[in-house]
Amino acid sequence: MLAAACWSEVLRAQSKAAPKFSYFDAATASEIEAIAAQILPDDDTPGAKRAGVIWFIDGALSGYDRDKQDLYRKGLAAAQAKRIEMYPGSASIAGLSATQQIALLKAIEKSEFFQQVRTHTVLGFLGHPKYGGNRDMSGWKFIGVEHKMAYQPPFGYYDAEAAREGQK
Amino acid sequence: MNSAQYQHTDPVDVIVVGCGAAGGVMAKELSVSGFRVVVLEQGPWRKQNDFTHDEVAVMYRAALTNDPKTQPNTFRKTASEPAKRQQAVEYGRMVGGGSVHFTSNYWRFHPEDFHERSTLGPISGADLRDWPITYDELEPYYTKAEWDLGISGLGGSSPFDGPRSKGYPLPPMPVKSAGVLFERAARKLGWHPFPAPVAVISQPYHGRPACVHCGFCESFGCEMNSKSSTLAALVPTAVETGRCEIRPNSYVRKIETDKNGRVTGAIYFDEKKREIFQRAKAVVISANGAETPRLLLMSKSNRFPQGLANSNGNVGKYLMFDNGAFAIGNFEHPLNEYKSIVVTRVLHDFYRSDPKRGFYGGGGIDSRFDYYPAAFALDGMPKDMPQWGPEWKHAFGKYYTHIMGVLGHTSCLAVEQNTISLDDTVKDAWGLPAMRVTFQNHPDDMKAMRFILDRQKEILVTAGAKKVWVDPTTDIETTYSRHLMGSCRMGDDPRISVVNRWNRAHDVPNLFLVDGSSLVTSGRQQPTETIQALAYRTADYIQQTAKRGEI
Repeated sequence: MLAAACWSEVLRAQSKAAPKFSYFDAATASEIEAIAAQILPDDDTPGAKRAGVIWFIDGALSGYDRDKQDLYRKGLAAAQAKRIEMYPGSASIAGLSATQQIALLKAIEKSEFFQQVRTHTVLGFLGHPKYGGNRDMSGWKFIGVEHKMAYQPPFGYYDAEAAREGQK
Repeated sequence: MNSAQYQHTDPVDVIVVGCGAAGGVMAKELSVSGFRVVVLEQGPWRKQNDFTHDEVAVMYRAALTNDPKTQPNTFRKTASEPAKRQQAVEYGRMVGGGSVHFTSNYWRFHPEDFHERSTLGPISGADLRDWPITYDELEPYYTKAEWDLGISGLGGSSPFDGPRSKGYPLPPMPVKSAGVLFERAARKLGWHPFPAPVAVISQPYHGRPACVHCGFCESFGCEMNSKSSTLAALVPTAVETGRCEIRPNSYVRKIETDKNGRVTGAIYFDEKKREIFQRAKAVVISANGAETPRLLLMSKSNRFPQGLANSNGNVGKYLMFDNGAFAIGNFEHPLNEYKSIVVTRVLHDFYRSDPKRGFYGGGGIDSRFDYYPAAFALDGMPKDMPQWGPEWKHAFGKYYTHIMGVLGHTSCLAVEQNTISLDDTVKDAWGLPAMRVTFQNHPDDMKAMRFILDRQKEILVTAGAKKVWVDPTTDIETTYSRHLMGSCRMGDDPRISVVNRWNRAHDVPNLFLVDGSSLVTSGRQQPTETIQALAYRTADYIQQTAKRGEI
């Protein structure tokens, strides 16, 4: 038991140390995370940041979706150009106010890039935690999924009600 | 298990190409009755423990299906426009095929499906035809499929079903909240809902355990072996005969023929993309309604310059797709539809084509929930609200446990211009021409879809939904399908059909096409049981004719 506890401490310490991105550099990660955080904001419930969505996106772009790297590169460049047009003198998307970020994203929400970030953000929030997002199953808890391997009836309110009526 | 192992140069009795819903039946039936069988399956041979609840891999990374990154399709609505790269067909790519990942709805076609042309007359712009066989001829094989595989349901519970010689082997699955609401509303409207017949076992059956209601049926494989796929229910029996060798990761590129026009075997790529020629006395192609015509078209030879079994040019034509819209409603109390099987109640009141409506077709309707969490947030939310940001986030968080869907499964007319063909400008990862899909709905398909959609909405409103919305939001034509039907039609007349009433190619006596490709009409979708019944029937025919030396 002691050994196991120690080992988990080691793992925790390691994960706190400085996890490294496989694909992103820190600056790009911060820009993409700022976009993801407006798609799924953190409030009194977890959003993209607390669920660790950026880790999912990093894994996707260095794995199955590596053919989408170009879309991210070009799409982010276009978003930066739009930012400079809308907010001259600003330095980054992450550095904009929330109101400015929302206005910027509304201006690009029809783009393939934004739609792809939206898809990745949701997959990172509600996909399997093994991909780095949905941390502590925060996404599943948020939508009310118990995430068990098996269930027994009654499953919901109305079948329970019907079963009660049937027993009368 | 002592699986057979055959030499490539050893002509086995039968090669089965594709080990899906139909191929799995052929493999089992033929090996049990004494034939030496090699099954060439392009996908892997997964075991039950390989199946996961991983939405990302299964729904977004083609873990169990044809991957558009290695097997691209091109798509166009009509032959006059250029085909662009776009996925148009999806199928289960593994031993067990679509029967592993299907929702598990298990419907018989109705007796009238087999003679709609005689009943309704010709339809302009389509080529509606009668089947060469009747419901009564197929009925014993429907029953055989239900009992061999293990189907749960309540025989006789739908007044619209054809006569049946036997009930289902297993009682219906427990009703879910969506089923309860669906049934209450449909009865209030004077209709006749009934417990869904499904290929999931509600009690232990043939050594497999009862379903534990994990909620991952549609698109996923069953880690309990409770879904009655050919992988779980039939493949073990085939292997245990010692006469059936299943070769996974074997991608067939050509069926070879001799100078007499008989097939002699199949050329395929193995896992390492090495080319192998397996000899056989007969070939069964069960590669699905899209890959079967593609393989025939790729199997050109001097004797068959237009492709194998294609002397009349009909291979690939009259492709039929999976039509139907999806209506969603949210309710006051939690339904938790993410638990257990997808469908528990079905309605066939509007199945039959009624000339008074002014168009061909109709549909079956079911209560279902087929959104996994990410797909729901991405695509399932009402479109009259923002699709990102805090309002959207809290809405999908609240809705997910409080919604149900009602799906329409509507008719698709056979149209000559809707085809599978080869696209020589795009290659797959094996260097073979990509599948080119040309498809445009007949106007009556759209009318049937809209008519049934109105009934779907009525059910949700009558059930007390607080809000009802539709996916897709507008009349979007079908451009993508998981039901692949009609591309090598069955018929008595060799001028206008590809296979005869026994699924035997008109042009090639030792070639059989057994899958969705031989379907003459689409029924009201949910074609798996009909495809499997045809497979049992063809296997019977092969046994009898081979005995008489006629193959």
